[in-house]
Amino acid sequence: MIGHLRTWPIVLALTIVSAPLVLMYVFLFVDTISNAPAGSFIPNEFTLEHWSFLWETRPGRPSIWRVTLNSFLFATSTAALVLVISSMAGYVLSRLNVPGRTYFLAGVMVLHAFPAITLIVAIFLVLQVVGLYNTLIGVILVKAAIDMPLGIWLMKGFYDTVPWEIEMAGIQDGASRFTVWRKLVLPQVKPGIFALGLFAFLLGWGEFILPQVLAPSGNAQVLSVYLAGLIADDNNFDMNMFKSVGLFYMMPVLILFFVFQNRLMNIYGGGSKG
Amino acid sequence: MNASRDIAESARTPIGVRAAQSRLHLGWLSSSKGLGILFLLPAVVLVVLFFLMPVALTGVFAFTNMTTATGITGGAYQVSPGTLRVLTDRYGMGELAERLGQPTYVVDEQGLAALEEKGIDKNIIDSLRDGLLGKTYASRRELERDIRGLPDRPNTRTVKSISEEFSRSLANARFSSRESLIAAAEAIDPDLTDEEKEALAASTYTGWTWTTENFRRLASSPTTRQVLFNTLFFVAMTLVIFNTGYAMVLAIATHYIPDRPAGIFRIIWFLPRISPVVIYVLLWKWLAWDTGFLSAFLSNFGVRPRNWMLDTATNAWFFVIVINGFVGASMGMVIFASAIKAIPESLFHAASVDGAYRWQQIRHIILPQLKWPILFVTCYQTLSLLTSIDQTLLATNGGPGGATEVWSLWIYHTALNNYAGNLQYGMGAAMALVLVVIGIVLSLIYLRLFNYNALVAKPRIEL
Amino acid sequence: MRILLEHFSKSFGAVKVIEDMTLEIKDGEMLALLGPSGCGKSTTLFAICGIHRVTSGRILFGDRDVTNVPSQERNVGVVFQSYALYPHMTVADNIAFPLRIRKMPEAEVKRQVEEIAGLVHIEGLLGRRPAELSGGQQQRVALARALVRRPNVLLLDEPLANLDAKLRLEMRSEIRRIQLETGITAILVTHDQVEAMSMCDRIAIMNAGEIIQIATPQEMYRNPRTAFVAGFLGNPPIAFIEAEARDGSLAVKNADIRLPVPKNATVPPDGTPVIIGIRPESLGTEGDATIRGRVSFIETQGRENLYDITLENGSVLRSIQRVRDDIALDDVVEWKVRSDDIFLFAENGERL
Ligand SMILES: Nc1ncnc2c1ncn2[C@@H]1O[C@H](COP(=O)(O)OP(=O)(O)OP(=O)(O)O)[C@@H](O)[C@H]1O
Ligand SMILES: [Mg+2]
Repeated sequence: MIGHLRTWPIVLALTIVSAPLVLMYVFLFVDTISNAPAGSFIPNEFTLEHWSFLWETRPGRPSIWRVTLNSFLFATSTAALVLVISSMAGYVLSRLNVPGRTYFLAGVMVLHAFPAITLIVAIFLVLQVVGLYNTLIGVILVKAAIDMPLGIWLMKGFYDTVPWEIEMAGIQDGASRFTVWRKLVLPQVKPGIFALGLFAFLLGWGEFILPQVLAPSGNAQVLSVYLAGLIADDNNFDMNMFKSVGLFYMMPVLILFFVFQNRLMNIYGGGSKG
Repeated sequence: MNASRDIAESARTPIGVRAAQSRLHLGWLSSSKGLGILFLLPAVVLVVLFFLMPVALTGVFAFTNMTTATGITGGAYQVSPGTLRVLTDRYGMGELAERLGQPTYVVDEQGLAALEEKGIDKNIIDSLRDGLLGKTYASRRELERDIRGLPDRPNTRTVKSISEEFSRSLANARFSSRESLIAAAEAIDPDLTDEEKEALAASTYTGWTWTTENFRRLASSPTTRQVLFNTLFFVAMTLVIFNTGYAMVLAIATHYIPDRPAGIFRIIWFLPRISPVVIYVLLWKWLAWDTGFLSAFLSNFGVRPRNWMLDTATNAWFFVIVINGFVGASMGMVIFASAIKAIPESLFHAASVDGAYRWQQIRHIILPQLKWPILFVTCYQTLSLLTSIDQTLLATNGGPGGATEVWSLWIYHTALNNYAGNLQYGMGAAMALVLVVIGIVLSLIYLRLFNYNALVAKPRIEL
Repeated sequence: MRILLEHFSKSFGAVKVIEDMTLEIKDGEMLALLGPSGCGKSTTLFAICGIHRVTSGRILFGDRDVTNVPSQERNVGVVFQSYALYPHMTVADNIAFPLRIRKMPEAEVKRQVEEIAGLVHIEGLLGRRPAELSGGQQQRVALARALVRRPNVLLLDEPLANLDAKLRLEMRSEIRRIQLETGITAILVTHDQVEAMSMCDRIAIMNAGEIIQIATPQEMYRNPRTAFVAGFLGNPPIAFIEAEARDGSLAVKNADIRLPVPKNATVPPDGTPVIIGIRPESLGTEGDATIRGRVSFIETQGRENLYDITLENGSVLRSIQRVRDDIALDDVVEWKVRSDDIFLFAENGERL
């Protein structure tokens, strides 16, 4: 707080501009467990009917549990891939004496800013040719590759904060570079790895356009594509049901975000796409 | 002291002895180079597969007429009434087309061999060879009449199965290679010129071919100009109003209020970013749809309910910009807020006397500090807005009537998803190539904005 | 183990940090590498332990050429200025780390860890983490970790710089005790001359990547090879005044002061500009030459007082004497200097 300036006008103004967002998210919750009379938004009855999608599979659509499992597999696999690859590559960029290291570092920075989505036409065609179109594996690889530059960049930043002396001491103690990384350095960046993993998981969980284009149907469908499909289907317009599926889909995100908000905000601020 | 004597003794043991005691297991894993290359390998593989190769392929595909119909891997040679018409119209070889299109029957050794295979009576084959070898018929009826006229007259079913083997028509035939197509054509007309062969192959080929047509179409199409304008309008408005402007307002405003409410507002403004995009846009739809919140609320004031998001182009633009802007604002907010936090408290104290000073503080203390962060956010967000697709796709899908079609969405509609079902990959790649080039240029500029040399300090362990 | 650097040079890219250094550390000796910040002390240390490759020259441990031996196989114990303890491990695990890397049986590891913990007096701390230790305790743990695998040589890079004054005094004698008890060859890097003089058998004094002089502390103090060495050793430091050789004696510039040429120096030819170095303890009540000046500053040090004397040409000399009541600020005094205790240097700093 700075000085003795009055703060309530600012709070008021912020409240007003934030109102639409608050309204939307409050009704995301309210509408899933209630019905309101037409033309009104004040709910007048409590019901769980909108959640019936959990136990009744809709005709022509995969089971919600199958789709949820796919989303989970997709998000955890991309997060795991991103973690493994960037914790290795980030270490090289931060610490190891490798020929061409500076070029790779510049390359990672360019890729970090480069909008990979522009490559989707080519990737789409490649996946079709190699037979990975409409498979989870294909879209996992693509998503991991796209998130990887940011991951490498963040991991490099975490490694940069580990004192050189710790590594030097490890080497003097007789450990190989690999052991030094594994036993001495990796434990120091654990919080960073955790935050990056969480972040990559959330990115994967929310991803829409890649699965929509590369794995839109069949056994590979994920929650975002499933929900978008429901909404786009003009024959079955049921806003409350959409919201229930949406809330179901968003639950993990909300929980993770509120528990780990401080760590996440830093990473989001550090430059994700969007 | 026991311990020290022990150590003192060991310090005098010759090195060879001790080295043997404590043999270290080191290999290439202990060298920076070996480990580094191993550790970089997975990243390099992914970069090559999903960045370098697609960039190159985008360039390649952009110069093809690849579509769903042509397939991706290459095609076959299909003779059809359509291709024969092409032969007539485009190459002026109507006569050839007619000849090839005609059902033709030729009595040749190949056909006789096939009959033998079929198990037709040897006598019949012999008399066919003696009587009809080398003859050509324009219709099956004529051929069958001659067959019936042979000495050992076969029954009607046999005649049918014999004449079948002499059919040499190209109509509706499919060939997997150029050679087999030409061979078949030469069976009908042995005197084909090279020019005729070329024309035949070109007109019957179903796969993709090289072309610069995509770029010519892009350059001349009025849609291009419209979409280009839409894209620039979208990027500029969103960037200026929300990603920098509004983000700055949020950062400064939350700076001036106590920590608790500031934290709450930051969380609220983070919701759009952390929410899966499908849900986030769904909420806007709920707000704007004809049975949605806005309509219901405004009907109290006698306003006719309508789909506010799609009823006019202006409204559509409003929602597209707001929906995208609310997502982008949080990134700027966090970056600007941390830049403001880095300003020494004393600077503020010196200046904070009364309310009027708040503007002075913002102008003279805060804004100068935000110069670099603003540049950073602008550069970064220009790129991501230029290629952003999710929100707009889900919200308006480019509507109403293409009013909010931006470049990346246009690519999507051309190459990845359209109602006609024939996806124009080549054209889409050409459109994407434009963005790829812009992306590369802007991200190189972005690289220059960083103090790059400070980031590449040499490793301090030279192993 | 004897350590020998032969014609050792090190450059970082185009920057030459060390050029052609030859240095021998005798078996069981503790040698100080003393020099101002940035002179290349740490660089020398890193070359010995193998963290840096040498640009040219050789490094020998005993008779073995280790120039191209990887760091891990040189068996050098290092104590870093920041201690570099592994923060996620307990003290016991920290000390055991080098042993476990060598795949020593766990029972033996435990025995050796306890033994070394006894040597450095940290038996009670083995279960703690580095963050739960004081600076001095961390220092002991770092020493224990460096010593536990019986290194060929112990390197200490400014080990006391992060300690407060009292602990520094304590650890000074502790480190020396441990070094003497284990008999290990040790190199101490420091820019504190008191540390170097009080802890080490010999001092190698460095400046700008070169070793200027190697000698025992006593010898170096009594017989500095250059003005730089003389200026670096001694607290309060030596004072220098400019002079000129004239008629077999030394005439201080712009002042009516004449000093005889000390016996240990060669008499320079007339007109040679020289630099005279006078230590504070050489200026006082006894001596064969007289210096006249004004008392410009008095610093009380308890048992003794430090007086600044400003000569008429503006140069300042220092004198350290028993506390005396007869001197006040701004008094003009004529004090004696023993001519054999002054040092004579050429203009380039070389001792004459
Ligand atoms: N990696 C490097 N690249 C370039 N120059 C370096 C590098 N490391 C050290 N130097 C330079 O080498 C010189 C000697 O450095 P060194 O660290 O050995 O000094 P030092 O005597 O240990 O100083 P201090 O007492 O401050 O620790 C310094 O001028 C330093 O700038
Ligand atoms: Mg140093």
